[in-house]
Parts: sequence; structure tokens; C-alpha cells
Amino acid sequence: MSAPAVAPVIKQLSQEQIARYADASGDHNPIHVDEAFARATPLGGTIAHGMLVLAFISEMMTSAFGAAWLSSGRLRVRFRAPARPGDTITASAQTQTERDDTLTYAVECRNQEDEVLISGTAEVSRG
Amino acid sequence: MTAPSRLLLSNLPKGHELATDRIDLTSARIAAYLAATGDTNVAYADRDIAPPLAVAALALGALLEQIELPAASLHTSQEVEARAGVPLDATLALRGRIAQRSERAAMVISVLEFEVTPEGATEPTITGRTTVMMPGASRS
Repeated sequence: MSAPAVAPVIKQLSQEQIARYADASGDHNPIHVDEAFARATPLGGTIAHGMLVLAFISEMMTSAFGAAWLSSGRLRVRFRAPARPGDTITASAQTQTERDDTLTYAVECRNQEDEVLISGTAEVSRG
Repeated sequence: MTAPSRLLLSNLPKGHELATDRIDLTSARIAAYLAATGDTNVAYADRDIAPPLAVAALALGALLEQIELPAASLHTSQEVEARAGVPLDATLALRGRIAQRSERAAMVISVLEFEVTPEGATEPTITGRTTVMMPGASRS
């Protein structure tokens, strides 16, 4: 059986969502939640937590693989650029390798300007 | 991010072990995480299993109560591995350590490894490696 195609996940980020994620994760770094602080940094404004954007990849893999992802999924990614409130994020996956026991996908998140924000691999055991 | 009792990550040497912590993985916390990420998959509730990224995020949040990140720190890479499903409403033991530390120019690059083990289990179910690049600092 060949590796199944994985449907992309598309999300629009908001500052409200970033604030909710800060509360849910316990990461209240001011670069994410304090707009005045963030404006004074070289980033020029708040940015989303990398783990929030990465969650879109995990959501995509959960949709495709269900329990197999929850019990055997593995992500290895680099955060290449920040995501900002108002960005539209597309998480996608392309089959990279297929072995007897493991499927490997190249995964990434891009913003509405086609800028790569996250790239890496996702592995999941064949059920 | 300025609590004086916390350890500055850039000062921690390779091999430093953080204090073992505990995470109560309540259904309410997972529901809050799913609402924040906008994840509406039913797989979690159907199987009473937490999203691996939720467990990793809560682990990192708990570790940030022990360590302080210098201003202008960058989260540059992340690995998360699920070795088994983590049941909702489990109590998890969290262990973290500095796996690598290097300096380049005026920057410090630290790799923080963590693992979470449900109460009663003998092996970790979620492991992670978090790489942070930050300005060098000497204060403790």
C-alpha cells in the first residue's frame, strides 16, 4: 500500500488566538503577547509561538493517521521565519520515503506570501 | 519572564538536569489547548488520548517556570516523538536536561531535552528536543 496523501490544513492567525495559546501552554513570553514590548524589538510586533504553528502540522497528521500519529508520530522541524497575527498559514505534507514500518513526509508551513515558516519531516509508523 | 529564582538558560552547562516536575494532564487543559490551536479532530476524544504537541507544549511551559530565556531568544528547531499515546487525565513526570550548549560569536545555542512519563509507566511516552539560540549572558 502506498503512502496516503495528507490534506493540507489552512488557518488564519489572530492575536486573540496567540493569547489563548499562551494561556493554554503557559508560555507568556512578551514577544508573543505584549504588543508594546514586541513593537520595540527588531521583530516590530508580536509573533506566534513556534509551537502554535507547529500544532497545525500535528493537526494535519492527526487528521490523516489518527491513533497511529498519536502513538508513534515524530516531528523534526526548523523554525525558519516568524508567523504574525493576520497571517494565513498553510500546513502541508509530501511523501518523502516509504519503508516497511515507517512513512516519512516532508512537512512545512507557509504564510500567504509563500514564505516558508517551518520545514522538516514527520514520521509515522504504518498501522 | 524575570522571576529571580529562575535559571538563565544561556548560563546552564551541558548536562545540567532540571528539577523533575509534574504535569496534570487534565481534560480541561487539553480542551483549552485544542480551542487555542483550533484543532477539531475527534481522534483525541474518541480514544481519550492527548495530542503529542499538547503534551510537548505543556512540558515546555512547565520548564519555562524553571528557566528564564534571555530577551531576543529564538526557538530555532524542535523535535517531538510520541512513543505511545498519552491518556487524558494522566499525571506525568517531566524531566529536562541541557543536552548541548555551544557558543558562536556572541550567541549561545542550547538544546533542551525533555521527556514525560505517565505515572505508573516505566518508559517515557513523549520525548522532545528544543533548540534555542540566544544572546550570551553571564548573569545567573
